[in-house]
Order: sequence, then C-alpha cells, then structure tokens
Amino acid sequence: MSNHRIMDHPVLGKLEKTEEITFIFDGKSYTGFKGDTVASALLAHGIRQLRVQEESGNPRGIYCNIGHCFECRVTINHVEGVRSCMTPIEHNMVVESGRLQPVPFKSTEADKLPRTYAEFERGLHKEDDPHV
Amino acid sequence: MDDLIICRCEEVSLADIKRTAHMYQCSAREVKLRTRAGMGYCGGRTCRPAVDAVLEEVTGEKPGNDIPLKVSPPVRPVSLSTLGGSERHE
Ligand code: FES
Repeated sequence: MSNHRIMDHPVLGKLEKTEEITFIFDGKSYTGFKGDTVASALLAHGIRQLRVQEESGNPRGIYCNIGHCFECRVTINHVEGVRSCMTPIEHNMVVESGRLQPVPFKSTEADKLPRTYAEFERGLHKEDDPHV
Repeated sequence: MDDLIICRCEEVSLADIKRTAHMYQCSAREVKLRTRAGMGYCGGRTCRPAVDAVLEEVTGEKPGNDIPLKVSPPVRPVSLSTLGGSERHE
C-alpha cells in the first residue's frame, strides 16, 4: 500500500503491524496505520506537499514535525489551520490541503512613501505637486 | 544563500531582510513591519531568532534592544473557541 514507509529499521527494528485506518486527503482515499499522524501517513505515500504558501503558491510541507512551526497546517473535518504533524489519523477523517488565497492590491510606491511626519511635511511643500 | 527563506509563513527571504536593513538602517522591529517577517501564522516563533541574527550582523543591533521583536500572548496560535468561545455552529 505505501512504498515509502520503513518497515524494517536498522536501529528501531521491524514495524509492528497495527490497525489500518483509511482517511481522505484532497478527495482521494489513503490508508495509514493507527498511531500515524496525518503528515506521517501522507509521507508514507510519498506526499510531501501539504499546502501552498497562501500568496505565492509555493509548496509547503513538514518543516519541524514537532508542532512548533505550523508549516504543515491543513484543514481537517472543516477546521482550518490544524497541524497535520500533531494530529493522529482517524477513520474517515477528511483532510484538505491549504490553497492559494486572493492577494490584496499592493502599493508599487511603498519605497517612495514618507517614513516620518517630518518627511511627510517636506513632501507636502513641493512646489509643483498638484495634490497640495 | 540569499534565496534562503527566513520567514516561511510570509515568505521573506534573507535577501529581503538584508536589503531592508541596509536601505533603512533600522531596528529589527522596523524590518519586521516593512517585510512582514515574523508576522505570519506561527507568530514569529520560527524566524524571530534568525531575523534578530541578521539584524545584528547588518546594523549591529543586539537582540532585545529598546523595541525588540517582542513576544506577546497568546504565544502560539489558538482558535477563539480555545479561548472560551462556544463550539462551532454550522
Ligand atoms: S511541521 Fe512544524 S508544526 Fe507541523
């Protein structure tokens, strides 16, 4: 079922078979073992991309794997922002990856804007500025 | 090396932070406000030490100066329901 899982580890020994659990990720069904986190079960299936950066769309996945960084956040059973590296899989759990979000307009003049009130005032007294 | 992403939540690279620090010769806090490094989902818990370290290298600002990249509660993202709201109604 999953070819990326280490079944016989040189130090940790053989993996004991436990109960198989089936869950859904982005509409497809996957099987993991009881005790797997969502992230580990998906990794065992070779799935490393858990979401995209909301603005750029660049791929994101497990980063710390200890619940610190929130890089692995997904939507689980309609609850957003759940850390997949900290959440054990359950039967029929519905997991959705994080998607691209609409981006607000950005100022192309951010570098030209005044930084202090003094700078702002100096800017106001430009002779030919039509907005004064 | 400059492509290195320092703040993964807001996708801010080492180059962005260095450029901003050089251009404005400013505090770590101003770099944070200008680039959004440390203002993302994880609350800056992942990149804050890195931003501090870059600033120390560029402007000599020691972490924990007058207006540092402070940590304020809640120190990790929590949902409003965790804070005592009612359960989700859908
Ligand atoms: S990978 Fe860092 S919180 Fe899950």
